[in-house]
Amino acid sequence: MKALVIAVLLGLVAATMATECGILQRLKVKQQWAMAYGTGNDRIHFGQAIWKGIFHKEPKTKELFERVRGDNIHSPEFIGHVVRVLGGLDMCISLLDDDATLNAQLAHLNGQHKERGIPANYFDVFEAALMEAVPASLGRCFDQDAWKACFQVIAGGIKSA
Amino acid sequence: MMLCGIFLLTLGLAAVSGSHDEHCCSAEDRHEVQAMWSSIWSAEFTGRRGAIAQNVFHDLFHDHPATKDLFKRVNVDDENSPEFKAHCIRVINGLDMAINLLDDPAALEKALEHLSHQHAEREGVKADYFDYIGDSFLHVMPHVTHCFNPSAWRRCFHRIADSIAHGLP
Repeated sequence: MKALVIAVLLGLVAATMATECGILQRLKVKQQWAMAYGTGNDRIHFGQAIWKGIFHKEPKTKELFERVRGDNIHSPEFIGHVVRVLGGLDMCISLLDDDATLNAQLAHLNGQHKERGIPANYFDVFEAALMEAVPASLGRCFDQDAWKACFQVIAGGIKSA
Repeated sequence: MMLCGIFLLTLGLAAVSGSHDEHCCSAEDRHEVQAMWSSIWSAEFTGRRGAIAQNVFHDLFHDHPATKDLFKRVNVDDENSPEFKAHCIRVINGLDMAINLLDDPAALEKALEHLSHQHAEREGVKADYFDYIGDSFLHVMPHVTHCFNPSAWRRCFHRIADSIAHGLP
């Protein structure tokens, strides 16, 4: 009986740890991101993979990217856009362990996204695409729970009214 | 050398650049710069990014106090404020983006065009300021990167900065 209680408690601890974006999860996400994000042309391919996922999951999102040639993800205009967005995400992830500066950055991004009138569910589409592209880029050892929890911190800050 | 000329001609910059040598950012330069840069600017190291970014701007304000007025909107009066730190990192993440696009000149050009428009919208930004911040990088980089190559850095930095500053007063 006692053992069962302990087992249940341990299970609860594991469950809570897995779903929050604590400092340990932040460190792990930062490290996994740096690996997946890469450098140079690898970074461009990584970004294109994310947008292939987004357009596949929700074709209507393409309409948002007309200005940057969403009809052709290989165009220089679209690549320029992809690296801008990923650069923004990169900043947020790298600031996950500096709350004050992270919040200042999220407030800045919040303003930029409001201007564009992005439907809130598009963040879920982005998240789903990211959760496929990152593990594909890493190859192994992807911590989905940590990623989902920490992505919520970032997306929540960008979406907040 | 030949390649550099072709590269500049393709970009239509040959006419405005006096010397090919000075402005050329060759494949060798690019790889040198990308290697130097990726060793210091990884998302893993928040503190490192903040420290480099703040030091570059601190150096800029020290040598060119007039530039400080441009950043009032991001709380430059308190260089340690989260707003200003976030701003410094944003600016240098723009450079990170450009350095990582050096191998894709067409996309680089589009990205720099976008940055050029963003800077043109901000009143008071002058083309000279990009030379000033270039100097600040030259002061700060050798302190944080092993085997810093100032010539390669200078050539590629100008390759990027000149496109952004193009058209500014």
